[in-house]
Parts: sequence; structure tokens; C-alpha cells
Amino acid sequence: MIPKFDYERPASMRQAIKQLTLPGTRLHAGGTDLLGCLRDGVFGAEKVVSIGGLSELRGIKRASDGSVTIGALTTLAQLAADPIILRHYTALAQGALSAASPQLRNQGTLGGNLCQRPRCWYFRGDFHCLRKGGGVCYAVGGQNQYHCIFGGDACYIVHPSDTAPALIALGARVRIEGPSNSKTIPLESFFVPPSKDVTREHVLAPNEILTEVLLPAPAPNQRSSYRKVRARGAWDFALAGVALCMHVRDTGEIERARVVLSGVAPTPWRVPDAETALAGKLISEETAKLTAELCVKGAQPMEYNGYKVNLVRGVVEEALLGLR
Amino acid sequence: MRNDYPNYVGQDAPATKRPITKLPPWGETSVVGKRLARVDAYDRVSGSAVYTSDVILPDMLYAAILRCPHAHAKLKRLNITKAKSMPGVRAIMTDASPGANIPWFFGEKGALSRLFDPHCRYEGDEVAAVAAESPYEAWDAARAIDVEYDILPFVSDAEEALEQGAPAVQEGGNREGEPYVRERGDVAKGFAEADAVLEETYRTSCQIHTPMELHGSVAQWDGGRLTVWDSTQGVFDIQRSLAQTLNLPLSSVRVISRYMGGGFGSKLELGKYTVIAAFLAKMTAQPVKIMLTRENSFLCVGNRPPNTIKLKAGVKNDGTLTALHLISLGTGGAYPADSSVSYLVRDLYLCPNVRTEETNVFINAGTARPMRAPGFPQCAWALEQMMDALAEKIRMEPIELRIKNIPSYSQVRNNRPYTSIGLKDCLVEGAKTFGWKRAREQPRQDGTIRRGVGVAAAMWGWEGEPVSTAIVKLFPDGSANLNIGASDIGTGTKTVMAMVVAEELGVPLEKIQVENADTATTQYAPASGGSQTVVANAPAVRKAAVEVRTQLLELASDELKRPVAELTLKDGMIQTLSEPIRKVPLSELKILGRVQTIVGVGHRDPHPEGKIALPFVAHFAEVEVNTKTGEVRIARFLAAHDSGRVMNRLTYENQVFGGVTMGIGFAATEGRILDGQQTGKMVNANWHDYKIPTAMDVPLDETCLPIDPHDTECNNTGSKGLGEPATIPTAAAIANAVYHATGIRVTHAPISPMQMLALLAEQGERR
Amino acid sequence: MEKEKKNEVTSESPAGMSRREFLGTVGAGAIGATMIGPATATAREDSSGELPLVSITVNGWVHRMRVEPRWTLLYVLRDQLGLTGTKPGCERGECGACTVLIDGEPRYSCLTLAVEADGRRVTTVEGLMDGEQLGPVQQAFVGEDGLQCGYCTSGQVVAAEGLLRRNPNPTMEEIRMGMSGNLCRCGAYDHIFKSVHRAAKLRK
Repeated sequence: MIPKFDYERPASMRQAIKQLTLPGTRLHAGGTDLLGCLRDGVFGAEKVVSIGGLSELRGIKRASDGSVTIGALTTLAQLAADPIILRHYTALAQGALSAASPQLRNQGTLGGNLCQRPRCWYFRGDFHCLRKGGGVCYAVGGQNQYHCIFGGDACYIVHPSDTAPALIALGARVRIEGPSNSKTIPLESFFVPPSKDVTREHVLAPNEILTEVLLPAPAPNQRSSYRKVRARGAWDFALAGVALCMHVRDTGEIERARVVLSGVAPTPWRVPDAETALAGKLISEETAKLTAELCVKGAQPMEYNGYKVNLVRGVVEEALLGLR
Repeated sequence: MRNDYPNYVGQDAPATKRPITKLPPWGETSVVGKRLARVDAYDRVSGSAVYTSDVILPDMLYAAILRCPHAHAKLKRLNITKAKSMPGVRAIMTDASPGANIPWFFGEKGALSRLFDPHCRYEGDEVAAVAAESPYEAWDAARAIDVEYDILPFVSDAEEALEQGAPAVQEGGNREGEPYVRERGDVAKGFAEADAVLEETYRTSCQIHTPMELHGSVAQWDGGRLTVWDSTQGVFDIQRSLAQTLNLPLSSVRVISRYMGGGFGSKLELGKYTVIAAFLAKMTAQPVKIMLTRENSFLCVGNRPPNTIKLKAGVKNDGTLTALHLISLGTGGAYPADSSVSYLVRDLYLCPNVRTEETNVFINAGTARPMRAPGFPQCAWALEQMMDALAEKIRMEPIELRIKNIPSYSQVRNNRPYTSIGLKDCLVEGAKTFGWKRAREQPRQDGTIRRGVGVAAAMWGWEGEPVSTAIVKLFPDGSANLNIGASDIGTGTKTVMAMVVAEELGVPLEKIQVENADTATTQYAPASGGSQTVVANAPAVRKAAVEVRTQLLELASDELKRPVAELTLKDGMIQTLSEPIRKVPLSELKILGRVQTIVGVGHRDPHPEGKIALPFVAHFAEVEVNTKTGEVRIARFLAAHDSGRVMNRLTYENQVFGGVTMGIGFAATEGRILDGQQTGKMVNANWHDYKIPTAMDVPLDETCLPIDPHDTECNNTGSKGLGEPATIPTAAAIANAVYHATGIRVTHAPISPMQMLALLAEQGERR
Repeated sequence: MEKEKKNEVTSESPAGMSRREFLGTVGAGAIGATMIGPATATAREDSSGELPLVSITVNGWVHRMRVEPRWTLLYVLRDQLGLTGTKPGCERGECGACTVLIDGEPRYSCLTLAVEADGRRVTTVEGLMDGEQLGPVQQAFVGEDGLQCGYCTSGQVVAAEGLLRRNPNPTMEEIRMGMSGNLCRCGAYDHIFKSVHRAAKLRK
């Protein structure tokens, strides 16, 4: 049972940001991750500020130039079912559909999915770890079967989002509203690796709100997918996954590709070497193997997560061939 | 309280009242065996069934328990001053409270601990409890208790617990007594006679019950009388333990559990929380409800011990087993508990030379409780994979090898014969229905997916020993009341028992009122567990119903002036069997109106003389292994069970698939993980990280194949237990299928994609 | 403090009564009535002195009440309104036992703050009844034996209702996916799928 907190449900963005500027406030969008964190004591809240009343943050809009704007309060269920997303941004639909459970998808928002805290069991559990301001990363000498093989630095979480890798592969940008301004940045720049700051996963200040996700108009020859491998059939975060977005010529050659891994690093993990190598190639068994190798280059497995190296190989091969 | 879970062998048969009426076995039944909806399905689907979690009494308080967060620690400071003054708080109980020094966890020399033991030997050990006006306030106050511990060195692993210098969990070290050795014949000789000898080490993970309804109780005093609603499998066991603990006569302790949300063995014994609720209720003079949290349920209400099993087996080329040697190391946690596993090795197959050595050690983790077929899934995991390996070695068909060694008697019970053993039919008919032969021969590969099928056999080894009594009451209008003590833990007990009454009295199910699981108002029944609920209760119910019919016909005979032999009870009417034909509805029988009720009492009979009745099973699995990702998909499954007569085809099938589901968890997704190198705490104490099977983890293609040997000796209903056999060989069948698919023998359960990938990589390297 | 014993434990054990009968003895419950203030526990005022006032429609009846912001919808339904059909299984959104429909969509009530349900329409398992008669989804679960211990059943039934409202003719695979947010430790999944399949027919 969660400790007491006050509650505000501001009627406007201005008011919401004003509230969030106060100390001890936490943002409530869908609420699924917030309540979990409060229950586990990951952090506390003196006041919960609900942005559920900001209806301008809901909905999927397509502009005349074909670009798409997704309000941050759009639920994962809405994303997974939206005909535009399904057709033109398949990776995102698949990412959203692969997350959590049907009920959580009805409640969880896209913004929340991008901003969610890690699932590391030391972080979530009764351990005063580095990310929470303590002195030790318990994963280093402990049960690290679900921790990272890339990008670890003092902290070894994996980023839990399935929509983030898909969105990065699709070239998404995000709009951030703050007290004095609003800015738009590539989603890739939204995430913060532990090498930069071990106490946070994204760039938002406590009084900034992620309001929209912007997707470029899809090229006519674009195809995308998101494939996730997990330990049980539903309701489970990725052991590893891959989001692919490719522009493929009529001749079958890959014009451009983006490859983004999930479940392997503290941020969604783009593999530029693999992307470069794919350009100009045909999708084939050979290309798939080559890409897979490039995706595991430089991996630094921990004591119990070495399986992720082969898993990444396998899931990348499978996903690439699946887009043939 | 002491875990009195019985040894599986050597129990006395129940004592019963004289005379013992032997009822003839049923032939064709008109109600029993049919697919009938549960008599209480309405209550459960409408949301109107009141479980312990749902009990709301006027003036009721809610309690929260403060627990030690460390694997091993001594309480250094406990200050409740701040907590006591928090809003809504009515009482706080600690070790210092009057009467709190209640012995708990018993060893050979007596009590090893107490209710709020300042020496905390496992994460989750109880330290204090708060009663407040709302659960929120109770938890606020529990969090506000000022507590400090001296953290002690801990041990989290059975093998480490045996090492020199390992931290001692209990005084006297980490071994629980001497290894339990059982032997028959001469294994050295047996191995010498074998044409093939194989040896392997298998490991299983700690599986945790986690029933859907949380553990908990509501306690209410009326002066010196205590009423407890408890989510329990056995109200009489709880009553007995509570009465002993609180030093009360049984007549002052009433335990009720009419609806309970699952137990699987974790709710067979008195919980500390129940005693705490009783105390807090006394302290406050208000009813107190105490429900554990889901996180608690992983730490302190039992588990299936993890085991390391070394198994050596010898076989002749013709398939005869010559020797079996099992050495098992298990850990039942911080206090004495049963981690034995050897039964199947000792009794499933014919083998003259068998030696089993079982060691239980203490670790700083929650104490084990029996979990659905305790020890059996672990042993099947080892034995049934070994049988497959032997079959391969001597080039014998795996089903043939098993059939070759099926006994007709129990070797651990001085060769007492089985009343029936349908194991061969389970294997043969199961194989036929499953399409075994073709699936074994078919090519295994389909791109990156490898397909395979596997089989595993098993039995369950306990026929149950306590008595049971049932009362059937006929109302003057011909409707009936059935009074039994058994909890219905989800197995459909109330329905099956009502069907027995319906069978004997011709009363339709909707006219049978069932009362159960209340120590004050219902008859004694053993706890629902051990696959003996139908076995213990149905025969008693049958006898009670038959007694009602006997009395009824006698009364009708008086009124209708016809001999009893010419009368029958059919369709709710007394009918004459010869001319002149008369059919008299019970509601028109004057004598019934004058006596008002007819009461029949039935008791469980002793076990069949000189024989033993046990259930048998064979499971068949088809798997698809994705060699790129390590994912193992269970494509289809068949469960062939000899559990004697099928009492209700619908609930029987549901039980079977339920057991298979739990077996899939054991095989593929479940396992407690402790932070063994650093804090000893459980890292996956929630339902996200401790992964029980979801709807996506069970195959859509599942077949339940009952094999009924028409056993007329086991008891007067011909039924044998089902709940546990349904989960014993599941994991082994899956592992055998994985081997068939990939050539990889997975000896460590669970078979996760993580492990599969590592093993596939190793195989790739070896090639 | 002198305390009068308000309830009598007679031969009828509350745990054996139907919920409706029991509410009569306890006096909690707000069926059809507007309620000011919670029935069983006192919501305490916070520092600002006033608790949020919410208006939640549950099974067609409007409830106006003051709630603590931290109270979950699950807590309000069960401990304030006496609707104990919805069950707590984990209070962390990991099991589905607490599933209700919010504006027709299956949601976990344990992860929904009561304040967030303000102005929304909530349907619990009790709301799927037709008076004392079972609704079609409930009937299907009875007929196909989609339950064992019954504790996850409320959540399963409500999730099934939500699924069928959105997709009245699901395939078995769609049923499985739609029900994948509800755990069943007894393992009644096979029968649950069959129940949902049958419910689709009964709802026509």
C-alpha cells in the first residue's frame, strides 16, 4: 500500500508544468509505471500531478505531407490498432503490441513507455543501488542475466521500452514542453546513457513534459518490423529484440536501413555499422549473417547474460529475413 | 507449526466405525462421470462467492506485518513509539507483547524459533504487526516502525551450505540430520550385471506455489471463542493447530474456509499471520483481517525445494533395469522441511537393486512447504530423462522400455499388489492417440525450427490416511443437503460429492445444498491435498447417501405396505418394481413429513486389505525449438491418466490441464533467484520476474485421455487421486521432446531461452 | 473504550452467504444510493484539509465520495463500496485478478487511482449480471468450466467481456491474446479459451 500523496489534475499544460516545478511532484500519465515505482519505493511522491486532463496530448494525426504526430497520452493499445501505424509504421505497431498485457496497453501511454524506469530487479527491489543514489551497482557482482551487453558504465540496466527502438528505427523526433520553451529533438538524443548520468534514463527535467512523438512521412518503399524474444509468451520484457526499418528498391537492394536493438543496453541501441553494411545489399541469408555479426561486435557480456550475444545474432537474422 | 506432512509409505489405514458396509461397485452411472457444471460455478462467476479476502466485518481492523528484509540478521532495535501514534493505529504486536512467545518451527529437539524471533533466518521473517483502521494506515505505521538489524553472513545455496566454514543457519550446522538412506538389494552387483550403465546429474529450481488468492485470515473473538476465516486447504488442521497454540478447547475455535483461491500445498498449515490476527483481535477487541502481500507470498509461505539429483542407472540389453542409485541434495530453507525426492526411483519401475541417499540442508531462505506432488516432479525430471537415455543406449523404443519394467505391486510396501495399474494403457493408448510413432520417425527440422516429441511416465505415491465423515440429509420435499468438511480448493470437490449424492438418491444437482469447510458445522475431512480429496470423501458421501436411501425405503415400505425389496428410489420418487406399479413423489410421502429429515452418516472405509490403490500417468509433449532464439514452444500435449473412475469429465479435464500448466512452469519458466553473492535476498519476488505460465504459454492443442481400469477394490467409487499426477511427468516429457528435437539433453530446469541458447551454442561448438 | 458487539456470528457464516445477503448484515454498500463519505474506513484529511471529491459510475450507479488520492479503484470498489467480486491478486498490475472495464475497456483497477476514475464508467463482474441471472459471458464460463478455484475468474470474465465488445468473433488465437493479461495459477486456460469462444456465440 502506497504512502500518502496529494493530487492535482491541472486543466492546462501551463498549470501542469507549474505544478511539476514544485519539489516532490511526480507526473501521472497512464500511471502504470508510476504506481509500480511508488509501491516498490523506487522513489516517493508528495504530490502526483496528473496530465490525464490534457486532451490535446491524445490522438494520432496525419499531416498533408504524410508525417504523423502522436500525442504522448495515446495508449499502446490505440497505437497497436491504428490503421496508419499498422500500415506505414509497422515496427511501432508491433512494438506497442508486444508490450505488457492487453489491460496495461489500454492504460499505458506512449509517453510513459518512453519515459519508464528500468526493470532491473535491484533498481526495483529493496536495494539502494547506484541509480537510486546509493553506492553500488548490484548487477556487477550479482544476478545479471537480464542486464546489458553494450553501453554499461557503472550501471548495467537495459532499457525496457519496445516502442523506443521501433521509433528510433523509424526516425522519430519528440517534442518537449518546458517552463519557458518547447523543443523538438531526435528520439535518439532523448535517452541518457549511464556514462553521462547514472541516475536518469532520459533528458527531461522534472518540470518538462514529453508531449508529442513526430514521425516522418513514410517513404513508399519503407518496410519495418519489431521482433522481441522473451522468457514467457506474454507480459514480459525483452531478453533481446530488434527494430528494423528499411527502404528497399524494386530491385531488392536495400537503399537505407536502421537497426535498433532492445534489451541489450541502457538505451535503445542503434548499430550504425550494421546499417552502413546493409546499404546496397540484397536481403539474403548471407546479409543476415553479416548484419547479425556486426550487431554483436564489441559486446561485453556479464557473468550470466552471455546468451544475449547469440540471441541478438539469432533475432537479427530472423527479423531481417522476415522483411524479405 | 511443525510440518507434519506424512511420509508416503507405511501409514495406517483409517479407523472406521463398525460395521463396515461394503457397497457394491457402481456399474453404469447416470450422473457420476458426466460433464456437469460446478454446483458453485454461479457463485464464482458472479463475484458473489466470499473468499477470506472478501470478508468484511463491522468494526474490522486491518493488519500489516513488518518483516525482516535481510537473508540473515538479528534484530537490534525495535521502537514502535512513532508507529503507535500514527493515524488509525489500534494495536501493535511485537515479541515483547504478552503471550507472544509462541514456539514455531520444530526440529527433533523441539522448537527452533518463535512467532517474532529476533534471530531472523530468512528474508520475510516476521518481526512485528500493526492493526489499524485501514490497510493503508496499517502499512503506513508498519513502515514507521523504527527497526535496525545486525546483518549476519548468510548462505543461499545448498552446495555452499555444506562447505567448510559456511555460515550456520541453525545451531549445529546446515545439515538437517543424517542423509536418509534407503536400500534394497545390492546396487554394486546390479551395475555389474548391467549391459549399459549411465550416470547424470540433474538440477531443478525452487518453484513457488503463488496461488491466486493471497494467504490471510480474519480473526474474531466472542469472549473466549474464536472464529477464523482462513484461506486454507484444511480447516480442521488449522483448528487443531490454533487450539493447541492458543491453549483452547477445539470447541472454542471455529475455522471457516468455504471459498478459497488455491493453495497447491502452501495452505495446509497454520500461518503465523493467523495467530497474529487472533492476538491483535484480542488486543483490540475488534475483528482483525490480515492478508499477505503478493511479494510476501514468494518469501515466507513455502516453496518446492530445489534439488540436485545424481542418478546412476543400469539396464540389460533386453530392457530389464538392474540397478538405480540416487543421491539427492535438497534444501527446504531455513527450518526443517522435507526436500526428499526419491519415491519414483524406488517404486515406479521394477528394479531389484535400489539405493537412495537424500540430504536436506538449511539455507537462509523461506522454509519449504509441500508443493503439488512434493519431490515427484524433481524425481521425474531425473528418472524419466534417464529412462530415455537408457532406451537410446540400448536402442530400445522408449515406451517399450518403460512398459518392460512396469510392476504390478509396490516394491516399497513389501510388494503389496496394486488394486489396479493402468500405466501400460496410459502409455500405449496415449501413444496411439498422440500419433507418437509417426511423430518420432518424422524429420525433425523445418528451417531454423526443430520439432520433437517426448514422453514421461509417473505415479503418485500416497493413498492418504486420515478418516473422513459425510452427512447427507434428505428434506421432506425430496431435496437434499450434503455436509462435508473438505475445502474445495478448485478441484470441484463440492460438485463431485453432490454428484455422488445425485447418483445414489436421484436428486438433481440443483436440489442439493452443499455445506463445507466449517469446523463448527461440517463433518471432519482431511485437508484437501495429496490427491486424496475424492478418494477420502466420495466413498464416505456414497455411504451416507446409501444410508439415507436405505432408511427412506424402509419408511416408504411401512407407508406403502410393500416389502423393501420391491421398492426403488428413482427420479425423486419411490417406485415399485412389481405390479401394481406405483410412483410416489417424495413430497407426497406422509411419513417423510412426519420425520422431517432423514440423516445418513458415512465414514471412509479402511484401505483395501493387503493391496494399495495409487494413480498412474503418462504425458506426451511435442515441442518446437527455435534454434536461432532458443525459444521453446510447446506445440501440443497429451495427458493420459489412470486415476480410476472419472467422477466429472469436465472438472477432471480441467484439473489435468491445470496440472500440465503448472508442469510447464516447472519445465520452462519458473524459478526463484536469490542474490547469492551479495545480499541473499530474492531478486524476483513478484509476478513479473517470477514467471508463471500465461495464456500464451500453454498449447492450444491439448488432449486429456482418461484411462479407467475399472478398479472395484480401491474404494466404493472406483476413483483414485488426480490433482498431483497431473503435474508430475510434465516437465520430463517436455525435456525429452527437446532432446528428440535437438539432441540436447537439458538437465537443469527450467528450460529457458537463455539456457537453450547456451546449450545450442555449446552444441554448435562441439560439432 | 466500551465496545458493543455489532455483528453476531450465528450458524450462518458470512463467508458462506452471497455477497448480497452479507451486505445486508454489514450495512456497507451503496447500491443505487448516493453516498457521502466512505462506509468502513475514515478517509483522513490531508494538509490542505480537503480530500478530492470524485464521481464514479459503477455498474450504472453514480457514487459521489471523497477519496484519498492514493486509494486505488480496487480499494474503493471492495472496501468502500463492498463490491468484493473484483479481487486483489498482486496490487502491481501483474496478474489481472482486479480487471474491471473502464469506459468499456479492460483495465487493472489496482493500478488505477480512484481519483483518475472520476467521471468514468466502471463495470465490475457484478455489473455483468442480469439481476440475479448470469450474463452470457458468465453463463459460458459455467458451461465450459472456465474456472477452478474461482479467484481469477472475475477478472477473466470481465476481460472476456471487454474483448468481445471490441471483437465479437475472435479466433482462438485472438482469444488467447486477449486473455493474456489474466493469470490463472490453477491453469484453467484451456477451458477459459473455450468459455470465451462459447461466450461469443451466447452474446449474439
